[in-house]
Amino acid sequence: MSPIASAVGFGEEDCRAITLAVDEAITNIIRHAYGGKLGRAIEIQFNQLNGTNGAKPGLEIVLLDHGTKPKAEALKSLPPGELRSGGLGLHFMRQSMDTVVHKRVGSTNRLCMVKFIR
Amino acid sequence: MQISARYLENTTILDVIGDIDLANSPAVRKVLLAELREKKIPRVIMNLQGVKYIDSSGIASLVEGLKASRDVQARFILFGLSKSAREVLQLSRLIKLFEIYENEEQALSNGSA
Repeated sequence: MSPIASAVGFGEEDCRAITLAVDEAITNIIRHAYGGKLGRAIEIQFNQLNGTNGAKPGLEIVLLDHGTKPKAEALKSLPPGELRSGGLGLHFMRQSMDTVVHKRVGSTNRLCMVKFIR
Repeated sequence: MQISARYLENTTILDVIGDIDLANSPAVRKVLLAELREKKIPRVIMNLQGVKYIDSSGIASLVEGLKASRDVQARFILFGLSKSAREVLQLSRLIKLFEIYENEEQALSNGSA
């Protein structure tokens, strides 16, 4: 993941943050959408945002899976600093990226994460 | 990932080498809980110098260790965090809840059992 983010223009720290976000997203898909079953398809798309027409440059990462729809409580943020061991993955994704948006499109889960170059 | 234990008086030092992620965080959790809950070691120190990457499941294992240490009134100490591991712990907003030192010498001298 890091080489892609680096090629887009992100610094070392941002590359680590993007790697963590993608890792956590894949973990969540395996755990929740596919119920822990391995060998299921996950499609990942990387779109470089060029920053044309006044938009900010960055990277859009889209993850598509055909697992079950996540429960509403699985998409809620964690209260900060609370000593609990579950639900950290989504919190890490939201902390690492500028936007994280989940949509159910037909039988597909579409997770779109964007990070802009600072 | 490899995890090995060194035993001193009232203290276990766990040396971890490799990533702590979804695949191996259950092993970390198991070892931590065995030292704290079953063996009732009063001070468990985890050496993370050999850990380059840790994800949310790894942090969750450390949180389990911290909770167990509080339950049994033991000390759970970390040292040798890489830049990446420290960043992830900061992201979790739990970093202030952990007792963290730079190296083993500091962990042993400051974190008395």
